[in-house]
Parts: sequence; C-alpha cells; structure tokens
Amino acid sequence: MNNNPLSPHIQIYNWHISSLVSISNRITGVINILTLSLICFWVCMLLLGNESYESIFNFLNSIFGKFFIIGFVWSYSFQILSEIRHWFWDLGYGFELKTSKITGILVILGSIIMTIIIYSLRGFLI
Amino acid sequence: MVQINLPKKSEIKKGHYYKDKTGSKNIRKVNIYRWDPATGENPRIDTYEVDMDNCPSKVLDLLNKIKNEIDPSLAYRRSCAHGVCGSCAMNMDGKNGLACTKPHSEINGDINIYPLPHLKVLKDLIGDLSTLYKQYESVQPWLKTTKRIDDTEHHQSKEDRSKLDGLYECIMCACCSTSCPSYWWNGEKYLGPAVLLQAYRWIIDSRDEDRKERLKKVADELKLYRCHTIMNCTNACPKGLNPAKAIASIKKMLATS
Repeated sequence: MNNNPLSPHIQIYNWHISSLVSISNRITGVINILTLSLICFWVCMLLLGNESYESIFNFLNSIFGKFFIIGFVWSYSFQILSEIRHWFWDLGYGFELKTSKITGILVILGSIIMTIIIYSLRGFLI
Repeated sequence: MVQINLPKKSEIKKGHYYKDKTGSKNIRKVNIYRWDPATGENPRIDTYEVDMDNCPSKVLDLLNKIKNEIDPSLAYRRSCAHGVCGSCAMNMDGKNGLACTKPHSEINGDINIYPLPHLKVLKDLIGDLSTLYKQYESVQPWLKTTKRIDDTEHHQSKEDRSKLDGLYECIMCACCSTSCPSYWWNGEKYLGPAVLLQAYRWIIDSRDEDRKERLKKVADELKLYRCHTIMNCTNACPKGLNPAKAIASIKKMLATS
C-alpha cells in the first residue's frame, strides 16, 4: 500500500466562493495578529521618545506604508464580516448552498466597501 | 499535516495519446488519470479523442465507450448507473460527483477525469476508501435500543420521521469527504462530512436510545471540530444533501445540551 500514489487534491479541485472565503478568513486572522502586534510595538516605541516613534510614522506615511494600512483595514473588515457570517452558521442558519454563496459574495464585496469607507474617513476617526 | 505538493511517487507524468480512428467530426478530448500497480511507474494522464456523435449523455457513458472501443485496460468502479449505488464517484472537471449522473455537456473544453482526491490509488480511477469505511463503522450506524419489542414495529411520528429527511438519502459515495480540505490534511483523525452526516442520522433518530453516548463519542477536537465550514462537501454532494448543516447541527446539540 505504501507504493500506491496519492490522488491529486488541491492541485485539481475547483475553488468555490465558500472555500475561498474560508481560507481568506484564516489568512486574515493570522495577518491581524501580526499587525496588531506591530501596532502594540509602535505604541511601545512612544515610550522610547520622539525619534523611534517617528521612524514608524515615516514608514506608515510612505507608499509601502499606505499599502500596508489599506491591507490591514481590508484584512480587519474581512475578518469582521466573515465572523458575523460564522455567528449565523453557529446558530444554524445560512447553510443552504445558495444562501452560503450569497453571504460569501457579500463578505467579499462588503469588505472592499468597508475598507474604502474606513480609509476615506480616517481623518475623522483619528 | 497540510501538504500542498504531491509526494514524488505520485507526481503525474504525461501519458499516451489515443487519436480518433472513426473519422468523426464531433470530437472531444478526454484526459484521464491512469496508474497501473503492475508497472511501478508514476501515474500519468492519458488523452483520448472520443467521437461524441455516438456517445450517450453522461460521463460514465463516455468512460464505458472508451473502455469498450478504445482502451480496455481502463479501470473504474461502476454498478447501478442511476445515481443510487455511489460506485462511480470521481473527480470530473475539478469537482467530485457521480459519473453516471453528470452530463458531459455541462463540462466546457477538455474533459478532465481524476480519482476522488487525496486517496491512495488502487488502479486508475479507483481510490482506497477503507479508512472511511472504518470511520463509518466507528459511529455504529445501526439502531440501538434496549426495549426490545418482539413482533411489533418501532413507532415513529411523522414529525420525527421527517427529521431523517436529507440524511437517510446518503449513499456513502464519499464525494463530500474527499472534497474536504480538512479531511485531506487530517483524514486519519477527522471523521469527515460523510461519516458525520451518518452519525447525525442516528443521533437524531427518535427510536434510538443511545443519543447521549453517540454525542459523547463524536465530541472531539479532531473527530468533529476539524470542520471549518469550508462547504466543499455540500457543493459536491451529488444527492443534494447538506453535510455541513448536519455537522453544524451536531455542534449545536453539543453546545446546548
């Protein structure tokens, strides 16, 4: 039995909306932990004085930094919406194929809209 | 363990090309996964040109045509050809299903046929399902009752009976379990959608007296909670059942009991 090959799996299997949202939920979860740690790190830098605070401030104001912030806002938006979807699932609703597809699309579109709204309101929020 | 790449011995090579000999103008290319245990070579993809003018509508008909007219060495399971036995479950066009109920007209472009994903291949399109059957046995899929009433039926109200709808129809074809990434990575420990749907079928049966024990047995980090609602199972089920919902119902029962 050890010589028998393993049939191909992820290489050949089609992606569905539900599987795509599911893996994105996991990935954004990991990203959120890392970026939250970074924000905590930044706050700690405040204690070390102006200069060390400014180095991260400058990084976040660079093009790469802005991309990072937008990515972070999207990642959080996605996680929040996806978790709301999971709450409904935990209550036993939304398992029909059509419903799960629609809610999956809503999570994807919603996360993009939420990112745009939060990012364009950033001046007011801070 | 998450393993994205196939082991070296399982890597797929290019195989033979069978050109059409009928001279038909309505030709489709069919790519089929082949592995012969006798040769010890790596698996390969053989390509067949099939005359579609003289081929009935389902993918199983297509396979029968290839086996009868082009290459008799092709191996696959089939029996009833009516979507009841579950033998011809395989991966067609990137999605699991029954070859006997899947029309090839629904597939665009070349028709790609693989065995059910992440199984040890026995030959060509035949995967080894013995782990799944052992797991099925472990949920003790039979009625357990201590009150033995001889010569009479086990009565069940219409309402209680209706709770089995969407569960009893399962034919154990393994399309759902082998479509589930969680089952791919943890197939030895996670029971998988097919077996959990069966487990729920006995948990929810009003005549069964072993509900508490059944729930206790299945309440395990790996056996049950490896379900992350990826929903590939429900997407794949050729009988239109909803294993994801059945698993969620077990989780809910455990959380509320």
